[in-house]
This record gives sequence, C-alpha cells and structure tokens, in this order.
Amino acid sequence: MNSFVAPEIQWAALSPILVVVGAAILGVVVATFVPKTSRRTVQVFVALAAPLVALVLVAWRWSVVVGGGESTLVAGQLAEDGPTLAIQMVLCLVALVGFAVMASRLPSGEEAFAPQGAAAPGSPYEEAARKAGLEQTEVFPLALFSLAGMLVFPMANDLLVLFVALEVLSLPLYVLTALARRRRVLSQEASLKYFLLGAFSSALFLFGVALLYGFSGSLGYADLGTAAEMTVGMDGMAVIGFLLVLVGLLFKVGAVPFHAWVPDVYQGAPTPVTGFMAAATKTAAFGAILRLLYVAAPGFGWDLEPVLWTVAIASMLVGTVLAIVQTDIKRILAYSSVAHAGFALVAIATLSPSGPSSLIFYLLAYGLATVGAFAVITLVRERDAEGNVTGEATHLSQWAGLGRRHPVLAGMMTLFLLSFTGIPLTAGFVGKFVAFVSAVEGGAWPLVVVAVVASAAAAFFYVRIIVLMFFTEPEESERPGSDAVTPGALTGVALWVCAIATVVLGVWPTPVLDLLAQAAKFVV
Amino acid sequence: MIEYSWLAIAVPLASSGLLLLLGRRSNAWGHLLATVASAASFVVGLLVLLEVMGRPVAERVIDVPLYDWLPAGDLSVEAGLRIDPLSLTFVMLITFVGTLIHVYSIGYMAHDRARRRFFAYLNLFVAAMLVLVMADSYALLFVGWEGVGLASYLLIGFWNFHTPNAVAAKKAFVMNRVGDMGLIVAMGLLFATFGSVSFADVDAGVAALSTVNSPMLIATGLMLLLGACGKSAQVPLQAWLGDAMAGPTPVSALIHAATMVTAGVYLIVRSASIFDAAPTAQLVVVVIGAVTLLFGAGVACAKDDIKKSLAGSTMSQIGYMVLAAGLGPIGYAFAIFHLVTHGFFKAGLFLGAGSVMHGMGDDVDMRRYGALRKFMVVTWLTFGAGWLAIMGVPPFAGFYSKDKIIEAAFVGSGWQPWVLGTVTLVGAGITAFYMSRMFFMTFTGKARWVDNADLLGPDDRRPVRHPHESPAVMTIPMIVLAIGAVTLGFLLSLGDGIVGWLEPVTGHVDHEAHPPVLPVPVIMGVSLALVAVGILLAWRQYGRNPVPITPPTGSVLTRAARQDFYGDAVNEAVFQRPGQDLSRTLVYADTAVVDGAIRGAAEGTVGLGQALRKLQNGMVRSYGLMILGGFVLIAVVLHFVRM
Amino acid sequence: MSTLPWITVLIALPIIAAALLWFVPALHKVARAYGLVVSLVVVAIAVAMATQFDVADAARVQLTQTAPWIPAMGVSYAVGVNGLGLVMVLLAVGLVPVVIASDWRAVPDDDADPALVARRRATFIALLLSLTGLMVAVFAARDLFLFYVVFEVMLLPVYFLIGMFGGPNRRAAAVKFLLYSLAGGLVMLVGVVVTFLNGPGGEQGFLIDNLAGVIADPTMEKWLFVAFFVAFAVKAPMWPVHTWLPDATAQATPGTSTLLVGVLDKVGTFGMLALCLPLFPNASRWAAPVIVVLAIVSLLYGALVAIGQQDLMRFIAFTSVSHFGFIVLGIFIGSQVALTGAMFYMLAHGLSIAGLFLLGGFLTERSLEGGPTSPQARRIAAWGGMQKVTPILAGLFLVSGLASVALPGLSGFVGEYLVLIGSFPESIAAGVVATLGVVLAAVYFLLVYQKVFTGQPSEEIAQAAESGRITDLSARERWAMVPVVAAMLILGFVPGPVLDLLTPISQVLAMGGAQ
Repeated sequence: MNSFVAPEIQWAALSPILVVVGAAILGVVVATFVPKTSRRTVQVFVALAAPLVALVLVAWRWSVVVGGGESTLVAGQLAEDGPTLAIQMVLCLVALVGFAVMASRLPSGEEAFAPQGAAAPGSPYEEAARKAGLEQTEVFPLALFSLAGMLVFPMANDLLVLFVALEVLSLPLYVLTALARRRRVLSQEASLKYFLLGAFSSALFLFGVALLYGFSGSLGYADLGTAAEMTVGMDGMAVIGFLLVLVGLLFKVGAVPFHAWVPDVYQGAPTPVTGFMAAATKTAAFGAILRLLYVAAPGFGWDLEPVLWTVAIASMLVGTVLAIVQTDIKRILAYSSVAHAGFALVAIATLSPSGPSSLIFYLLAYGLATVGAFAVITLVRERDAEGNVTGEATHLSQWAGLGRRHPVLAGMMTLFLLSFTGIPLTAGFVGKFVAFVSAVEGGAWPLVVVAVVASAAAAFFYVRIIVLMFFTEPEESERPGSDAVTPGALTGVALWVCAIATVVLGVWPTPVLDLLAQAAKFVV
Repeated sequence: MIEYSWLAIAVPLASSGLLLLLGRRSNAWGHLLATVASAASFVVGLLVLLEVMGRPVAERVIDVPLYDWLPAGDLSVEAGLRIDPLSLTFVMLITFVGTLIHVYSIGYMAHDRARRRFFAYLNLFVAAMLVLVMADSYALLFVGWEGVGLASYLLIGFWNFHTPNAVAAKKAFVMNRVGDMGLIVAMGLLFATFGSVSFADVDAGVAALSTVNSPMLIATGLMLLLGACGKSAQVPLQAWLGDAMAGPTPVSALIHAATMVTAGVYLIVRSASIFDAAPTAQLVVVVIGAVTLLFGAGVACAKDDIKKSLAGSTMSQIGYMVLAAGLGPIGYAFAIFHLVTHGFFKAGLFLGAGSVMHGMGDDVDMRRYGALRKFMVVTWLTFGAGWLAIMGVPPFAGFYSKDKIIEAAFVGSGWQPWVLGTVTLVGAGITAFYMSRMFFMTFTGKARWVDNADLLGPDDRRPVRHPHESPAVMTIPMIVLAIGAVTLGFLLSLGDGIVGWLEPVTGHVDHEAHPPVLPVPVIMGVSLALVAVGILLAWRQYGRNPVPITPPTGSVLTRAARQDFYGDAVNEAVFQRPGQDLSRTLVYADTAVVDGAIRGAAEGTVGLGQALRKLQNGMVRSYGLMILGGFVLIAVVLHFVRM
Repeated sequence: MSTLPWITVLIALPIIAAALLWFVPALHKVARAYGLVVSLVVVAIAVAMATQFDVADAARVQLTQTAPWIPAMGVSYAVGVNGLGLVMVLLAVGLVPVVIASDWRAVPDDDADPALVARRRATFIALLLSLTGLMVAVFAARDLFLFYVVFEVMLLPVYFLIGMFGGPNRRAAAVKFLLYSLAGGLVMLVGVVVTFLNGPGGEQGFLIDNLAGVIADPTMEKWLFVAFFVAFAVKAPMWPVHTWLPDATAQATPGTSTLLVGVLDKVGTFGMLALCLPLFPNASRWAAPVIVVLAIVSLLYGALVAIGQQDLMRFIAFTSVSHFGFIVLGIFIGSQVALTGAMFYMLAHGLSIAGLFLLGGFLTERSLEGGPTSPQARRIAAWGGMQKVTPILAGLFLVSGLASVALPGLSGFVGEYLVLIGSFPESIAAGVVATLGVVLAAVYFLLVYQKVFTGQPSEEIAQAAESGRITDLSARERWAMVPVVAAMLILGFVPGPVLDLLTPISQVLAMGGAQ
C-alpha cells in the first residue's frame, strides 16, 4: 500500500489538449448565454480558432520535443513523442477543415443540422423549431470535445487513459450523428446503432484491459512491455487481452470484421460530420494502435502480426467488393473507408520501423481527400418541382453530367477520387507507395499483392463516379433532378485547402516525409 | 556510264511519282512523259550494255554500290546494283518491250479517263522490275520483287470498279505473297548460314561449303523455288495468272507474259550457286517445270477466252524455262534465251489479241471471232509471226530457243533425260495445237459474227461486230515485236551468241561434253513432226470444220482444263474455307473466351458483393454478432498460428 | 553537352499550354488553332533537340538532367534519351499536330450553347497537349519511380479523351481501358517497390542505372520480371490481354486511337526494352522462349481475327495486335538484328497506324448513315467503290495499308524484314511461323481495301458524290497526311539515319548488358 504521490503535470505538453477542451467548455457557455443573433458566429469562431491554436501549439511542441525531448508525462500516463505529435497535427488539420465544412450554410441559409435535436422527427414541435429558425449550436462544442478525446488518444500511455479518451471522443460523435437536418429517422437510427455497437466494443475493450491488468499487474504500457519480456506461461491471456483491446480500436477504425456500423452511420450522419468522423476518428484510433503495438506489445509482435494480416486483407477485400455494388455515394465512400483502413494496416502489419511514418502520411492523405469528398457531397443537392434546393442527392445516378455544369467542383471530386484510387501525383499515391514500401521491408509482399489487387478492383467504383460526372448526360429518372449549389465561403476554403494539399503532397511530399522521418521514435 | 545505271530505275520511278502527285493536272501529257521515261531508261540500259560489251569477258560482272540501305549491325544491307550480262539482258528486254507497250497503250487506252494513272503504274512497274533484275542482293531484289507485285496488283485491278477485277488483283497479290514468304524464309536461312544476303557473299559462302546437298541448301533452294512459283505462276501457285487477264491487255503483254512472270526464272538462274550445290532442289525445280509445262498447255487448249488461252500458254512456256533452269549450268543460258525470245513473241501475240479485241468490241471469246484476216491484215501477219515463233517453226525465234531446251532436257543419265525429253517434246506438240487453234479460230474459217443486225436469223447467237484494224500507234509496236519474233532467235545464236554472252554468270559449259541421249537431228526431227501433227489436228478441228459458237461439252479432260484443272477449287477447299472458318471461330472466341474470362471475373466480384451485402441487414444485433464472431474467429486463427 | 534543358522544356511547355487553355476561357474559341501552333512549336523544339544529339554515341543516354525530387524516397527527376528514346519522342510529338489537324471536327457542334462547345473543344485540345508532355516524359524518364508515375498518369488524359469524345459505347470502352492499364500498372508497382528495396537505396535509389541488374536472387528476379512484363504486355497489347484495345479504338476518335496505338502502346514495348532487359537480364533470357511463343501467337491471332472484323477501327486495332507480336518477337528472340528491327518497327508502326486510323476517320466523316464515330459509319460492309468517289483518300489509305503490311520501299518493311530475318539465326522455326504473318497481312488488308474502295459505290453515295455532299480529301486533310506518308516513303528508302540511332542500343542489349 504505497502512498499517493502527486504527479508532476507538464502543462506545456498538455497545452493543445487543454486549449481544445477549454474551447469546448467555452462553447457550452456561449450556447447558454450569448444572444441568439450572434451565438452561432461566436461558436463558429471558437470552433475554428481552437484547432488552429492547437495546431500552432503542437507545432511548437514538435520543435521542442522531436529530436531528444521525447518524454512520458503525468507519471507515465501520457507520452509525448514524434508519432504522437504527428498524429495530433494531422488531427488538428483535419478538424480545421472538417469544422469549416460543418459550419458553412447553404445559400438558402440552411445548415446541415437539425434545428432541435430533441424534437421527434416529423413532430409539430420540430416544424415549429424550423419555422422559428432555431439552430443547434451545441454541435460545435460537441465536436470540440470529441476532438479533445482524439488528441489524447495517441498520447495515452496507459490503458485506462486510453479508455477514457475513447469514450470522450465517442460520445459526442454519437450525438452529432443524430443531428442530421434531413432524413432524420435514418440519422437517429444510425446514431443509436453507433452508440450500441460502440458500447459493445468498449465492453470488449475493457475486458481486454482487465486481462492485461491480470497479466502484468499494471495498466501502463511500459509495464506491459516489460512484463511481456519477463513473464512466461501466461502470455496466452496477454495475447487475448491485446486482441480485445485491438478489437476496440479496430472498431473505431472501421476494419473488417468490426466495420458493420460504418456504412449505416456514415450514411445516416450529417455529411459534414461523416467527413470529420471518417478522417479524424480513423487517424486518432490508428494513433492509439500505433502506440499500443510499438510500445506495449512489441513482445507479442509475433503473435499479433497474424491478426493484423487477417484484418488488413479482410478489410481491403470486403470493403472493395461491397463498395462495388453500392449505389449511394455516401455508402460507397463508407466502404471505401473500410478498404482504406485495410490499406493503412498494411503499412504496420509487420511492425516495421518505417511503418508509423508511412501510416501517418497515409492517414493525412486519406483524411484530406475524405473531408474534401464529403464536402462536395454536401453541395450536390436535389431540386424539388419548384426548383428549391432540398436534401443531398446521394444516389449515384443523380451525379450524372455534373462535370459539364460544374467542371471545377467535379474536377475537385475527381481529384479526391483519384487520390483514393492512388493515382500518381496525388497524395493518395504517395501514401500507398510508402505503405507498400514499409510492408515489403517487413517481408509482407503477399499483403502488398492483395493490396494491389484490391486497389485495382477499387479503381472500378471510383472511376464509375468520374464516368457519371463527365461522360454521362443526366437521364430522365424517377429521382428528382440534382444540381450543385455554390459552396459557402468556409466550405469553399476547405475544399481548396484539401484539393491543393492533395496535389502538393502528391507532387512534392518531400518536406512532410522528412518531418515524419524525424518523428519515427517512440518513447516508452 | 555504268555508275549511272541507277538512272534506268530512277527516271521511270520519278515520272511515275510525278504523274501520281500531279494527278489530273498531268492528264494531257502524262502518257507521253511516261513513254519517254521508259524509252530513256532503255537508252541508259543500252549505253551500259555497250560499255560492258566493250570490256573483257572477265570484267563483265560489276557491282555498283549506291548507299547503306539497312545498316543494322550484324546484318548490314547495302543498296547496290549488279551489272552483268544476265541483268543487262533483262534490262534490255524490259525497257525495250516495255517502251513498245507504252507506245501501244497510248492508243489502246486512249478512251480511258484514267489513262494517266495507267501510265504512272506502267512506269512504276518498269522501275520495280529493273530493281528486281539489277539488285546485287536478295534484299534489294525483294524490293523489286514485291514492287512488281504491287504494280501487277494495281494494273490487274485497274478497272477495279468491276468487283471481279478487284478480286483477281487481290488473288494475284496474295498468291504472290505466298511465294514471297518463300523468298523471305530463304533469305532468313541465308542470313543464318552466311550472315549476309548479298549475291557476292552468298556465292562465296556456297563456294566455301564443303558439303554438297546440305539440308540447309536444299531448304533454301526449295524456298527460292516457292518464290519463283509465286511470281512465275508455276504449279502449285499458278491459279492467279488466268484471272490476272482481267487487266488491260497491254498489262497482260508486258507483265503477265514478257517480263514479270519470268522473274522466277531469273531468280533461279541468279541463285545458280545455291541450286548447283543442292541437286535435290534442282530435281524439284525440273519436276515443277515439267508439270507446269503440261498443265499450262492443257489449259491453253481448252480456253475459248483468247487471253486466258494465251495465259495458259505463258505458264507452259515458263515451264520450259524453269525446267531448263533446273537442269543446271547446261540449261541456264537456254532458259534465258527462251525467256528473251518468248518475251518478244508472246508480247506480240498479246498485243495482237489486244488489237483483235479492240476491233471486236473487247470481246475475248474466240468462238465469236473468225475470218478476221482480211479485216485486220497487220494484226494477222504479226500474230502469225508470233504463232510460228512460239511453235518453234524454223527459222522463227522459238525454234532456236525451245529446241535448245528440248535437247538439254535429253542430256543426262538414267530415267531423267527420257522423261524430261519426252515431256518437252509432247509439250511442243500441244503448243503447236493450241496456238494453231487460236490462230485458226481467230483469223480463218467463217466469221461467227455479223456486221449488220439485219442478217441475224431467229435465235442466232452471233454478235454484231465491225472489225477494223487498229491505229498505227498500236500496230507499229506489233510489227516491231513481230520482227523480233522472226529474227531474234537467229540473231542471238550467231557466233557463241547469247550463251557465250551469259557465260560470266551461268558459267562455261562444254556442250559437246554433255551429248543428249538421242542424236540432236533425231530430236529436232521428232519435235518438228510433233509440231506438224499439232497444226494438222488444229486445222482439222478449227480450220476446215466450222467452229460451233457454243462450246461443245467436250471430254472430261477438256472440261477439267476449262476449270484450270480445278486449281481454284483446291485452293478454296484447302486454304480459303478453313482459313475463313478459323478466323470466324477466333473472332467469336476473342469476345466469348478471351474477353469473357475477364468479364466473368468482374461479374464474379459483383456477385460476391451482392452476397456479402446480405450480411449488412441493418440489424444491430447481427452487427454485434459479427463483431463477436469476428473476434472469436481471429482468436481461433491466432490459437492455431501459435501452435 | 547541351546547354538548354531540352527535355524538360518539351515536357513542361505543352502541359503549361494545356493548363492555360483550360483555365482561360478567352482561348476556348481558338482552341484548335492554339493547339496546332503549340504542337508545332513543340515539334520545332524537338527537332532542335535532335540536332544536339550525338548520333555516334546513340547507345548512351544524352541530353540528361538530374535533380532530387523526393530524396526521402530515393526519387529523383532524371530525364534523358538514348537513340530509341529520341526516336520515340520525335514520333510522339510529331504525331500530335497531325492528330489535331485531322481531328479538327472531332468535337461536333451538337450543343446549342456555343460556349459549351468551345469549352469541350478546349478540353479536347488541352488533353491532347498535356498528353504530349507526358509522352515525352515517359520516353525520357531515367528514374524508375518517375517512369511509373508518368506511366500511370498518362492513362488519365487518354481516359478522358476516349470517355468524353468517343462513340456511343465510349464509357464502357474508357473504363475498360483504364482498368486494364491500372491493373497492369499496379502489378508493376509491386515490382517497382521490391526492385527499389533490393537496390542501393539512397537519395538516387530509383535511378534506373543504379538498379540495373541489382537483383541477386534469381527466383526474385524472375518474379520481378513477370511483374513488369505483365504491365507492358497489357499496354503493348499482347494476346491474351489485348481485348481492351479493339473496344477502345472502336469508340475513340481517330486521333485518340492514333496516339493510343501509335505512341502509348509503344510504352509497353519501350518498357520491355528499357526496363525488362536491362533490369532483369537473366530473367529476360529465362522467359524469352515463352514470350516468343506468345508473340507469335499474338502475331497470327491478331491477323486472323482482323480478317473477320466488321468494324473498320476494330480491324485496324487487331492488325496492331499482330504488329505488336512482331515487335515483341524481335525484342525477345535475342538477336541483335531482330532487336534493331523491333525498335524501328515501333516507329514505322506509329506512322502506318496514324495513316490508317486518320484516313479511316476521314472516310467515316463522309458517312451518310451516322456520325464519324458511330458504328454504322465504321461498318466496313457499309462502304464500297469509294476509290471512284474519293481517289486521293483511297490512294493514301492504300499506301498506309501497304506500309503496315510491310511492302518494301515503305517504312513498315524495314522493321518487319529485320525482325524476321534476324529471327532465323536464333530459331528457324520461329522465323518460319512468323513469316506466315506476311501472307495473312496481305489477305486482311487487301480484303478490307477491296470491300471499302473497289467495286461500285452504292446509289446513295454516288448521288451524294454528284451533289458534292461527299468530296475527296480537303486541303486540311491532305496536308495533315502529307508528313505521315512522306515519312513512310523516306524511311522506306533511307532508314539508315534512324537505324544508326538504334543499332548501337541493340548491340548493347544483345550482349545482355544494361544500357
């Protein structure tokens, strides 16, 4: 029974997280006290300022930490090192553009979220809320909380912290998912599914934590690592433990066979949320997986590699094959994200030293393209008989001929799709390439072959969207016609950022690659 | 002058190109330019000839390098000309007869709107033919070889707005390509063996070979023979020549009688070194020659189409030449000798036929001719000269050249001389028969046409014709050729004549040392007797007795001969139809199988997707189950991996 | 040796010009003229560059430039050409103005909105121009990564050219083309990665010179060879992975088909020459027998299937399958002469195919039954007797066709002759069988010529010709074809200068050494 020692807290290292959390709390306050007229403006400002400041702070920490300054914090509960900071940087970036898309309105002034989340779909109350022009500005604090959780995720150096972060990032997302303005039932159903399955996976996760505690008598990664070397005989339990924890994280990543929620949720959630969620959650969760595998479980590498191989192959194939048969663009991108989870896993399947940097680059590339693609989806809208803009036109056939009428927008979408496909001179290609290199370095060339086959097949459905946009005339169909609305300023900016970044990272990835190369080292 | 001999090729080539480029703009004077160009290259050839004749015999074989044509490393082909008695003989024949036929065509094609194009093609042919005979390597020879093939294709199909003509042209080109294939393979074998395809290197290489009759040489010889068969319409590649008569008659005269079709003979003689070293190949050559000799003669007897009959005759006469060439050194010179005389009298005969057609409204059916003697005297006389010449009636040209071949055929030991000799003798008899038949049916007997429709009785199938002699521009060439047909044989055998002239190429042969198995006078006598018999038979059937205007059914042999002994049927059954079937099958397989396999894979993927889709049923419980199941599955996998 | 960054200019200029055209609406109205001028300038620069090339040293890569691109990944921007590269670059840039001039009407004025039509035209030209730069880049790449990048990126302009400006089934054709090529390319990508990781690494680890023959393990070398070869076989295209080509050409505009078959497919054979042989010399020798057989199969198969085609463009595509059989045969038969022939063949085929496709296009533009890219217009049986109506068109088509069936005196002969003759010392059997292709070629081409151009034109066509609705080639069309036909003739009679560029390379390769 050792006495409690107050841990020394490295405020500087925590500053990015603290900023985001603070902003979130501020947001809540704003939602309560700021008058309705200026409320949203303030919220948006806070929501955009927070990740920006965080980004700056992370950059500062980078300059301080990388190259010797790596250390564990708060009595080893958290770790601050290259990979962590890199992941956080990606998160802040994705959050910035993601929030921008969330915040922007249609020309009609309509926003992406329900006027009153609490209102039952189709109820007079909801109608009244819409009439009153209510706005659910809590969206932004929620998003910020979630981001805070994500920022902790890759930092967590202790299973319990990891679990807390997991919940912090998840719960707000469950709520956000439910807030779609149109197709509300679908949205709420999605939210419920997400919540239930999330809870289920969290349970598995906790079970794993318990097993690992039983194995090593500690929740700290460091101790797990050492325990792996010391103990003999009980490693079966440890392996199952790690496996369960991994399941919890792979669930967040959306890897097969833990992917079932992905299509339904991605489809149901408000599109801007989907974009943010797809990009950021994956990044954060992979951050956590990285640390778990490279710090806590290296001793079990030999045992866990088969898991990673199986999941990677399954994700790539299932994701691709299912995406081929989809007709709803959001579901297509959902399955493609499943496939991409597989591709990303390829980079670290052999725990090769270059794995983390490759993976992080891959996540950055994927994140930018994802936010961009979903942003485009928010702009392609149905028109009713009077020609008023209504809900999103997510059925593929409604995208026919978009390229003729909106060459630039369609061009951007094409760019993102090409990045997904992995066509050279896009970020996606460099990502795939470095991932493959890492895998082959570790001797996982069969995995790469599968990946290649999958990408070839995947090309089919990405290309099909391009065909529709550019080579097809909008034909008469029972579905309402569609057209793209001019993007709001914020979305416009976000789109351009994503597009330019995708190209730049494809043509001139050297700076980023160099940075990541420096940041390969984990602290234990 | 020798180093400028390339002008002989360049001039007609340039004129041809000019006429094709200028198009209609040169309609007015195109034919004149072409004729002058042809004449010019005759002059060039003549000057070169005189210069070479001025040289001592030992220095009469000259290689004139032009430029590096195919500098490809291990194989480096130089474009160069081989000036020697053989090539010059051909140059003379080609340019002289060629020019005459240019002149003749001015009249013959006067009414054709595309006359200028016709002359452009004629020039192209002359140029290509000269390349063929003047080349100093098989590679360059091949350029001329296919060049004349092209010219022949263009000219046979000159009136290709009649589909049959187009088909005939295509047939000629394709069958020639089969022969060309042989030539390519031969060149490949030569390159593989000697590392070069130039005449000089090959001759040297063969001379250096120790073994005679090596499989490689035999193969090469046979492949060259295949090429020769294609060009010279020898069995089994004979089928195109008859159809080739679809071309305008001057073309038939120049290309399909006097020059191009004899290129095969040239090739064999030019490749003497190879054949001499491969007796087996030579034997095949002789056999081919003998077979074609009779085959062609048979066809010539049966045809009522004057041009096709002449085509058969050409086949048969080239058979003589090939046979002679196959006899080796003793035959080469005679082959060329007969080739030259034949070039004259056969061209003359064709021009005569053309003149007759000209007067008879382009009708080619001899059964609707008759008694044309008094209507076209010049044609009658010149044709008669050709007739006597080809039959080998002394002192006409054919007598000198053909009898030499017959004698040479009788040289040797064992069965060979007897068989070959007999064949050549019989051939001579048949030749006499079909040529006389042609002559009598056309010029003598009763007219099987009327010049006035009123004279026609009921169901009278006689056509209405107004026969007339052709204009001077056409008759003069005929006369010149006729003179050649009369005198050339005698002239060329003066002194040691053409045989001696060709010695630098064909090598010296002491004919006294190779006596025929029968005394020469006997052979000569027999052949003349057979000729007489042939003439008499023809006279009995076609001269004295009236010729039915509708052909009688005739014997089995006749009917077979009318069908070219079913050569086309064979080709169709053996190559054409199976080929078409194969192609059709592959076209189907290409979409169904080759492409289908990949399409199948794609559809399979989609099917798989549809199946997996069912798992995505939207039920949380089944999703949860999936997660759990997944976990268990992986755990199990892991368990086994760990063991 | 040269002061100017010639190749970089050749790559950048057209691409920049394309971007300019696409983004500046003012230029849209004059897109075609603009494109013609730019492409002609590019040709001029290319010719100027050629004068800087030291022919005596053609086997060496010259006019080189090297700069770090992604040092972190060992990638550098390294360009330069040896004799073959130079020839292919000249062919590529030379064909572009011809194509622009020939495809003048490829984008019809079908839309009511002239601005929209103008933009589609501009897009068409912009795609062609950007393709020009990429074609130069792919033949000049000296860095494996750079080569792969261009190899893949090149697909996009073509994909859009087919998909946006083709016949009724263009979408399927475009997708098929892209997926085939991508699949092949991705297989190659694995090879690229593995090769690199077995190489010296470092900041220039992707330089082809640094990778030549680095694979020690023979088994791995074989696998890598296969990975590369598959990609190139799809591109080439060889039987049995050729089926995308006829579909593509049946839908694409004649100009697109010309560049696709005339230049892009050559990247396949070029890759075999410039990558497979130098990088995996032993594996190349190991695989040669099988590949030779495949090549001969393609050669005969293509010819036989061509005989049975109903669609003019599909027909031309299949003749190309046959021709690529010849080229691959020449590359892998292992004789220096055949190698030279194969390389020359790549150039010659580029010319003859341009002639056939573009003249075929001129023919279909004169169709009374449907648009130039419509299947009705391209049905061979729909034509007849056109020689009477359009003699010049017929004549030029005949010349191009004869060049493609290797008639001596035309460019096609030199390559085919060298390939065939060169094959005999290595394998008489291969030589003999391949020679059959010569006969089949005569059959397939003359058959089509007979069907389309000889005989009597149909009533409608005859009347249309009377009324001047169908006329012979216009001045534009004639001048577009002049350079092509002229090149066929010149290269047929004096191939020496080009052979001098190629022979040294074949001599190096035939020794099994790297370039």
